[in-house]
Amino acid sequence: MATSLASSQAAQGKPSRRLRVLKSLFERRSAAFGTTVVLFFLLVALLGPLLAPYGANEQILSEARQPPSLQRPFGTDHIGRDVFSRVVLGARDIFVLAGVGTLLAVVAGTIIGLLASYLGGLTEELTFRFFDSVLAMPALLFALLLMGTFGPSRGNVLIVITVAYIPIVARVVRSVVLPVKTKDYVAAARMQGEPITRIIFREILPSVLPALAVESALRFSYAIFLVASLGFLGAGVQPPNPDWGLMISEARTFVSLTPWSLYFPAAAISLLVISVNLMADGLKSVLQGQA
Amino acid sequence: MPTPYARASQEAPPVTPSFLARVLRSAGPVTVILAVASLFMGTAAVAQVGTLRVAIEPPVQLDPAFASSDSEIAVLNSVYDYLIDIDAQNDIQPRLASDWTVSDDGLRYTFRLAEGVTFHDGSALRAQDVVWTFDRLRDPSLELPTSDLYANIADITTSGELEVTFTLHQTNPFFLYDLSDNHALIVKAGTADAGTNFNGTGPFRVDDYRVGTRMSLSANESYFIDGKPGVENLELIFFSDQVAAVDAIRGGQVDLVLRMPTPLFLTLQAEPGIEAVSVPTNAFDLVRLRADRPPGDDPRVQQALKLLTDRDAIIEAVTLGLGAPGKHSPIGPLYSQYFAEELEVPEPDVEQARQLLAEAGYEDGLELELHTPDTGDRPTLAVVLKDQWARGGVDIEVIVQPESVYYSDGGWLDVGLGITGWGSRPIPQYFLDVMVACDAVWNEAHWCDEEVDRLIEVAGTTLDDEARAEAYLEIQRILLERGPLIIPYFFPQFGAIRETFENFELKAFPGRSDLAAIQVR
Repeated sequence: MATSLASSQAAQGKPSRRLRVLKSLFERRSAAFGTTVVLFFLLVALLGPLLAPYGANEQILSEARQPPSLQRPFGTDHIGRDVFSRVVLGARDIFVLAGVGTLLAVVAGTIIGLLASYLGGLTEELTFRFFDSVLAMPALLFALLLMGTFGPSRGNVLIVITVAYIPIVARVVRSVVLPVKTKDYVAAARMQGEPITRIIFREILPSVLPALAVESALRFSYAIFLVASLGFLGAGVQPPNPDWGLMISEARTFVSLTPWSLYFPAAAISLLVISVNLMADGLKSVLQGQA
Repeated sequence: MPTPYARASQEAPPVTPSFLARVLRSAGPVTVILAVASLFMGTAAVAQVGTLRVAIEPPVQLDPAFASSDSEIAVLNSVYDYLIDIDAQNDIQPRLASDWTVSDDGLRYTFRLAEGVTFHDGSALRAQDVVWTFDRLRDPSLELPTSDLYANIADITTSGELEVTFTLHQTNPFFLYDLSDNHALIVKAGTADAGTNFNGTGPFRVDDYRVGTRMSLSANESYFIDGKPGVENLELIFFSDQVAAVDAIRGGQVDLVLRMPTPLFLTLQAEPGIEAVSVPTNAFDLVRLRADRPPGDDPRVQQALKLLTDRDAIIEAVTLGLGAPGKHSPIGPLYSQYFAEELEVPEPDVEQARQLLAEAGYEDGLELELHTPDTGDRPTLAVVLKDQWARGGVDIEVIVQPESVYYSDGGWLDVGLGITGWGSRPIPQYFLDVMVACDAVWNEAHWCDEEVDRLIEVAGTTLDDEARAEAYLEIQRILLERGPLIIPYFFPQFGAIRETFENFELKAFPGRSDLAAIQVR
């Protein structure tokens, strides 16, 4: 428990709080691993086109179905595309879709969650009963339903992630707001006649932030999975985009002929999802230790 | 290695303990009791032994008049009978009709039905049932897929209990093939619920049907063809995923898979205990541009897309080298007597294509949406085309849709640029009639060429074989030279059966494979 003590002590001081959270994160071995891998993938996503020796849909038929080698570290697929390049270029896709989708869901979910649970009464009741009904359906099923209705496209994948995760984020926000809104300092602010936006964003939001940070990381890992699942089921990003889920789906029938074109994107998804989860776990214990 | 099943026949092996033990291990006690019982009963025909488990995709429509997919036809071909059948060599064979005569003018076909045929409900097959079936299929008011095909029938009459005569408006050299159309399974006259009551004359009767899961059938012991069916029970197990179906045969949960993608076939070839089979077919993937609106209405654009398509590379990449080269016409090498062997597809020419596009007003390139169903090699073909056409400045956005969605509601007929999978048929005229002719029901390219139309008419009516071959040759020449159809390959069909069974012959349309002929080895 030395580390959590250290972090709670660290939280006493005000400046560069973020840096200290990061430092405590790296003091935990699994969290350090997770965070490093996530940062590594982020770097790959940013530098994608510089790292990839071939284009995502560049087909060299004479070099189709080659096993991994020095020139082709991840081999080539059934139509001669470089699997390494596709995995690298696909990283950006997944970060943009899962990342932006999560961000939108967190922002919208936080605002709705804060407002509805602060206002209480019928507004809260209606909002959250509606969210409950949405949550009754598994996220993937819900996503497939939306994609089926609006057709598969990148923009729609974003919308689906956002819509699917808003209720979850809002519920997490509500769980923090409910005990906080009865606190004296909130009552004091209200009696001083502060406007509702100020009360919500200045008085209540800061208490929500630690839980929100953890939730965002978790949502991000689920979003990666959702993007990959939609791609795999053919309802998400369309070919020939180097979406990891789509790559697995395309390589599936080739599993005994070109197993590498299946294993590498699958490994990339697993590694990234596990790492984001480890990071989220670490974040949770660091921030809870602070509280 | 699985133990071979025992086949009880007139020359049944002696019942020794080791034989019994072997059978017990492989076939289960019920089968053994039946097998042993049949030895004592001394039946004349071959007794049916064993259970054949077949993996097929879930059927949706089981009314013969509407059924179309391989799995649907596989079910119906086991439950019902065709008047006449087509064998794996594409030759006409008798089935319910035991023989027939054609009048000298080629307009009257008289069929005599086999004797002693009964429906599963016990009633006898009569000529009236045949008349009723075909009257229904050709009734224009029902808007069935077959009403066009049988529009040439003027009249169907009976003479006696077992004789039917078809009179035609016009001669039709392929009339016998038309009578064996996939939909033309003989249904009892007056049947109102053909999709659910399964009262056929076929080799198997339906015992239990769980929608979306499986269908259990048992041998029709009074089946009119000697020696059929070969097995006592037929289990049709529904797999919506072909990869799962192939895993199931590898794991021993099913005995026969009727259809599978190329890479899985290559995988199964090396699998012990399984016989992987392939047949060349006239099935093809058609890439077609709508010719009735821009940009496809400009012949230069049609030509440019053909010039950008590298057919040989496609055959190598998409069919893994197993496809037969196409020449942009639906008449494939399987129809050896009609196929234009000597015609050559021009080499791809990016420069010329760019020039044609520029002349057509697309010097800055062309953006197109390419729609494709998600089955077979079609998505791969789309992705390969995207790469090939991009060289000429044609930017494709690939849109993959589930097959059931793509082919429903006529969406596939509507899109500007699309890929369609066409199943194999025993005669080339079928494709020309339903897809190429100006007023064809599925003229998905919305293309109309008067010269081609005239040739289709000639080929479809003349009784002179040479004149027909001449017309087909000319059609192939024209389709290579102009028009919005791109047909890069004809793909083979792949199936696989466990080696414990024999007598399996995969047909070009896998659903028409004769499951009743299969026996335990």
